[in-house]
Amino acid sequence: MAKRITIDPITRIEGHLRIDVEVDNNAVSNAWASCTMWRGIEKILRGRDPRDAWLFTQRFCGVCTTVHAMASVRAVEDALKLEIPLNAQYIRNLILIAHALHDHIVHFYQLSALDWVDIMQIPKADPAATSKLAESLSPWTGNSRNEFKAAQDRVNAVAASGQLGIFMNGYWGHPAMRLSPEVNLLAFTHYVQALEYQRKALQVVGILGSKTPHIQNLTVGGVANAIDLDSASALNMDRLEMIRVLLTDVVRFINEVYLVDVCAVAAMYPEWFKIGKGVTNYLAVPDLPLDSAGSAYDLPGGIIMNGNIAGVHPFKTAADKEFREAVTEDVAHAYYQAGKPLHPWVGETEPAFTGWDGEQKYSWVKAPRFNGQPMQVGPLAQVLVGYAQGHPLTRKYADLAIGKIAAVGGVHVTPDMLHSTLGRHAARAIRAGMLAELAQKHLQLLTDNVAKGDYTVHNPPVFSGEVEGVGTHEAPRGTLSHWIVVKDGKIKNYQAVVPSTWNASPRDASGAHGPYEASLLHTPLARPEEPLEVLRTVHSFDPCMACACHTFDPSGRQIAKVKVL
Amino acid sequence: MKKVLIGGIGNVLLGDDGVGPYMARLLEARYEFDEGVEVADLGTPALDLIDQLSGKDGVILIDSISIDVETNGTDVVPGTVVLYRKADIMRLRPSVRMDPHSPALVDALLSAELFGVAPRDLLLVGIQAESFEPSCSLSKAVTASLDGVIAEVLRELDRWGVEYRLREHPAELDLWWAAEQTLESSVAP
Repeated sequence: MAKRITIDPITRIEGHLRIDVEVDNNAVSNAWASCTMWRGIEKILRGRDPRDAWLFTQRFCGVCTTVHAMASVRAVEDALKLEIPLNAQYIRNLILIAHALHDHIVHFYQLSALDWVDIMQIPKADPAATSKLAESLSPWTGNSRNEFKAAQDRVNAVAASGQLGIFMNGYWGHPAMRLSPEVNLLAFTHYVQALEYQRKALQVVGILGSKTPHIQNLTVGGVANAIDLDSASALNMDRLEMIRVLLTDVVRFINEVYLVDVCAVAAMYPEWFKIGKGVTNYLAVPDLPLDSAGSAYDLPGGIIMNGNIAGVHPFKTAADKEFREAVTEDVAHAYYQAGKPLHPWVGETEPAFTGWDGEQKYSWVKAPRFNGQPMQVGPLAQVLVGYAQGHPLTRKYADLAIGKIAAVGGVHVTPDMLHSTLGRHAARAIRAGMLAELAQKHLQLLTDNVAKGDYTVHNPPVFSGEVEGVGTHEAPRGTLSHWIVVKDGKIKNYQAVVPSTWNASPRDASGAHGPYEASLLHTPLARPEEPLEVLRTVHSFDPCMACACHTFDPSGRQIAKVKVL
Repeated sequence: MKKVLIGGIGNVLLGDDGVGPYMARLLEARYEFDEGVEVADLGTPALDLIDQLSGKDGVILIDSISIDVETNGTDVVPGTVVLYRKADIMRLRPSVRMDPHSPALVDALLSAELFGVAPRDLLLVGIQAESFEPSCSLSKAVTASLDGVIAEVLRELDRWGVEYRLREHPAELDLWWAAEQTLESSVAP
């Protein structure tokens, strides 16, 4: 008989992800993804000055601050057909890249590594053997026996104290955990070291954006950074040099640690290249514009339907006509007033809460569709779309990762195996490698352009009549789009279609699953009451329910409720 | 010189959850602090809070709280100010990490402790919220509590021997999100 399992981090207020699965013969037979909070923030924007919208959208989410700011200014610029000076494009690109590198490192080490790494095996590891293994994989200087011994001592102290602290909730000793004590120690040590490098990436955002977590330097039409090589307070050669030094360290961590660790862990869990496939329609938008008009990009975009990689269809621009026309949101299974699927420019957000009902309405997330089809977004979509187009940088890092996985575990990963839980992790690491290289490229482009004497950073916007725009960004979690209608200089409508809306989408009117739901079907569970395998697949998407609030719940219930019915 | 962070946490678009950022800006506009004191509107930082906590001697966080009848036994009136110290927070369970928002304050503090970078002292000044509905305004009940919040923050700085003084000319209070709201608090400068 089927059992139903609910995973719900029951903090009452924040907009959290909830997953329900039905389990039959120790495998998932049905799945529902839902979000537990109303996303009605867009309504706040109506009637406001579109030049201020980015300040508000930057507060949608405390994790993805910059990405919502960027998509917002781009939406207004698209509506006004406003070109952006080169310096502003490069500065924005650097901010986006640095934020993404930070985000990818945090995702792997802080949010998902412990799905694969068993902390309680670490006391059994031999630090010298760990060092030998690590040095065979990477030239990283933080792989000495002493580094591993110090990290192991930390875990021993926690274990001995009986206060597991941050490790209280792990599924330690779970039969699906299979790394050797040494690999567990290696990954844990890098988890500790990652803290320093994620901070360095954020420092780059801070230097260019004046502040983190909320950048201050954006403006519709460009950026507000003063560039002056002779001024101590402006963006000058000293600051560009500081950024270069920080990026050098971050790039080294990505190439010598993150990318290597993902490949090593993947090589030890080859069966996870066959689990977690789900929706194989992929969507990515071009990003990192290389000119003022936005006609050339460093990251390619496009769509792949039904896993047909060879049939990739590229997008020419970040706000491609095809994309503008194809997106709708369906509310058949979402807590909104019934109606036909709507385009975001005429989108509505009228709540109609019914309580969770898997047959009817069960989520606050709408179901975005591309020409009526569910789409998977995220680094995997971007890497597949780029690889299929023969994009050289994508190929370079994808081939590097595939080679490393083969070298460590003898597993030959084909592009087809990337439609999987590990495929999503591998793609994120591949993307991080690409972005690391592009960070250095765009810093050089900025430096060279400034050295030529071009200090322009802003083209002023002019409003008249009623105009519509879409601003896109290929964010760390995938395609983000902000849709705006401006009338007489005021916002008439505003809708954000965020990456996790695509991926966490509920069923649509035709009953088609969203990507999380589809990816969970057929997943084997060793112990259904400890659904580690479900978390592995959900985490591989890097879910983030935007517009969370951050209230403190002193009841101590910040534990996911795993309910078996 | 003590390194101190006074951080306001919360989402300014979700009603009373904005009380943390509001307070951070209010304190910054009204007071001057010792050089080692950083006052910041932190938004909803999730795990990036580890960075903010790291390497500080003392941290004061201001955040909305949500105490419900079920766990508390009785209703807690909106605007009630409740203090939590480091040990109170460390006792709580970390979250199962469904998404990057799940690991909030408890996880950030436990992680900072594991990494050996946690502050020696930490005080959370919590304000019981009335509403988290999308809005850029604080409720009347929470607005009325702001005096009490400031008093708790200053009392903690006194305990740590950190100096502060009222600005002779209060700086402009930058509450860009609350343009249509009455900006004055009940606190007399």
